[in-house]
Amino acid sequence: MKVIDINNLTKIYNGSEVMVKAVNNISLSFEQGEFAAIVGPSGSGKTTLLNMIGGLDKPTEGEILVGGTNIGGLSASKLIDFRLKNIGFVFQAYNLIPVLTAKENVEFIMELQGKSRLERDERSIALLSAVGLGERVNARPAKLSGGQQQRVAVARALASKPKFVLADEPTANLDSKSTETLLDIMEELNKKENITFIFSTHDQRVVNKARRVITVEDGCVVSDEKRN
Amino acid sequence: MKRSFIMAWRNIWRNKRRTLITTASIFFALFFAIIMRAFQLGTYDHMINQAIESFTGYIQIQNKEFFYDPAIDNSFEYTDDLISSVNKIDNIKIAVPRVESFALASTGIQSKGVLVTGIDTEREKNLSDPENRIVKYKFTPEIVESILNEIDLPEKQIELLKANENNSYSSLPKISLDLSLDKKLEKKLFPIIKEKASFESNFLSKKDNGVLVSDRLARYLKADVGDTLVLIGAGYHGVSAANVFPIRGVVKIISPELDNKLVYMTLENAQEFFSLGNRVTSLNINLDDTDDMLRTQNELKQRIQGDHFAVKNWEEFNPTLKQQIEGDSVGGVIFIGILYFIVLFGIIGTVLMMIAERKRELGVMVAIGMSKIRLSFVLVIEMLFLGLIGTLGGLIASAPFVVFGHKNPWKMTGEMAKMYEDMGFDPVMPLAWFDAYFFWQGAIIMIMVLFACYIPLRRVRRMQVITALRA
Repeated sequence: MKVIDINNLTKIYNGSEVMVKAVNNISLSFEQGEFAAIVGPSGSGKTTLLNMIGGLDKPTEGEILVGGTNIGGLSASKLIDFRLKNIGFVFQAYNLIPVLTAKENVEFIMELQGKSRLERDERSIALLSAVGLGERVNARPAKLSGGQQQRVAVARALASKPKFVLADEPTANLDSKSTETLLDIMEELNKKENITFIFSTHDQRVVNKARRVITVEDGCVVSDEKRN
Repeated sequence: MKRSFIMAWRNIWRNKRRTLITTASIFFALFFAIIMRAFQLGTYDHMINQAIESFTGYIQIQNKEFFYDPAIDNSFEYTDDLISSVNKIDNIKIAVPRVESFALASTGIQSKGVLVTGIDTEREKNLSDPENRIVKYKFTPEIVESILNEIDLPEKQIELLKANENNSYSSLPKISLDLSLDKKLEKKLFPIIKEKASFESNFLSKKDNGVLVSDRLARYLKADVGDTLVLIGAGYHGVSAANVFPIRGVVKIISPELDNKLVYMTLENAQEFFSLGNRVTSLNINLDDTDDMLRTQNELKQRIQGDHFAVKNWEEFNPTLKQQIEGDSVGGVIFIGILYFIVLFGIIGTVLMMIAERKRELGVMVAIGMSKIRLSFVLVIEMLFLGLIGTLGGLIASAPFVVFGHKNPWKMTGEMAKMYEDMGFDPVMPLAWFDAYFFWQGAIIMIMVLFACYIPLRRVRRMQVITALRA
């Protein structure tokens, strides 16, 4: 089943002097349960592509259909709601809410969705246990290591039961051990809950784990390799 | 909802120093604004109490011409119909008839122009209450010296006793207040004061043909109880008014201006002296609810004004006091306005910093699905928390000062005291009791905080998530 369908996507940034085509006429689709990595050198357009898939940036041309909905046609407020219900985000710099504990960070998304207290409580503890932080539920982000924070971010991304998770360079700030742990967790969740994960990365360790690798250069897809 | 409050509360304490500086600026601005305004309003109340509530009344019924030409000829008949019409109005606390006119007073040694005031001795208790102001103790230099020779007093009380030399008192509690006496000192000093400083002075009986002389006037005229006062003036329709009156007592009038010129006599005595028959110059009215003065004045006008009477409120018959208060009040309001304006910029600075350093975080919240309305709500609560901490702190901290300053008015000294006395007022500055002004100061701060909220709300509304995430 197709989760994301991208057709002729183009993004042009108009600078003061030059016009930059960050994404150039890309067409792609992602199936439910994929574990895909978008790779490419810096400035190749992978993060721009990911941002547009996540509805954070508007395409100049083309369309992105998520579950049949063209997200480019949604108003700003509807897009926020759409992201809340359908997309999980993992950022390079973790971006947890510093004043909330690990558990509260995970619960926060569910609270925005209007989930009951009991459900929030159970799922947040289950997710944090799944990412190996069952003992640190009440720790604030400042008291957690980078790897631990990123695991909380993964738990938060999954809390809303999204159709897919977008992870922009999730391992860029992590050491090898933390990277390995995080990737194992995400792979396990992908397999167990059949959630689609799409990474933008240039970390070879992520690439090695991915079952699909899309290489982007100068805003164009130069290869799309599926592995078993 | 609860989470929004929790987040807002925790957010303001992320940068403790900044929060403390901002709340402290609100706290001190509010504290000083309240104390300053309380001093101002307390002083105005005191002025009004001295000049209006305790002497002229809030409303006066006069002969129509008296307002422009306050001569004894412009008096009016004090009839039962008039009394009955006035008494029908519910907000009227008391209506006191008076005869007021000027005369020349002499004791043989000194002469002075005085304000002769004929009073209904019973009803006047509810207005200027001269019976309660009869001088019972006097601190002449000799008496002060004698007291100091008799008793060992602490340094502070010696200083205060010397500072109050030549003062007259109508009661021991007032002496206690002025000399800052505790119970122990009162017990020690009061018997000596009673023995050495007591002053024989009486009030007027109902049919008395004597007079009461105000304290400062008595000192000027070198008059004492038992002496005879000669009064010469003009009576009704040009009849000559001249007579001699025994001085029954000395009264201490709070307003120094009045204390310099007042002579009380019974209403009948004054009517006879000025050949007025049943006429009076004014009916002075005090009110139950002074805020309702204009409505009461209008009601009185409708009932009795006609062709003969004028109904004036104190702001009309004492415009100088009104202008004095208004002028001073505007100055105070401008000063407080400047103070708040500075604080407003402090608050805006804090808001800008809070938004700037959390731009990315705010972007993340919107990216993961938090609506901008809810995000704005959290930021507004943060601002309100900041405002509330400073405001509640300021209100709570200023409250004891207001209570203390109201119960123990600050007594001015030196040039300032002289200036107040020259203006005709007792040189004390009490703080106004809790009233709308107290809570308004807090409300103004909160309104300013809400105004400052416009900045984060505008920033959030205009925020581009992708730009914020790159911050």
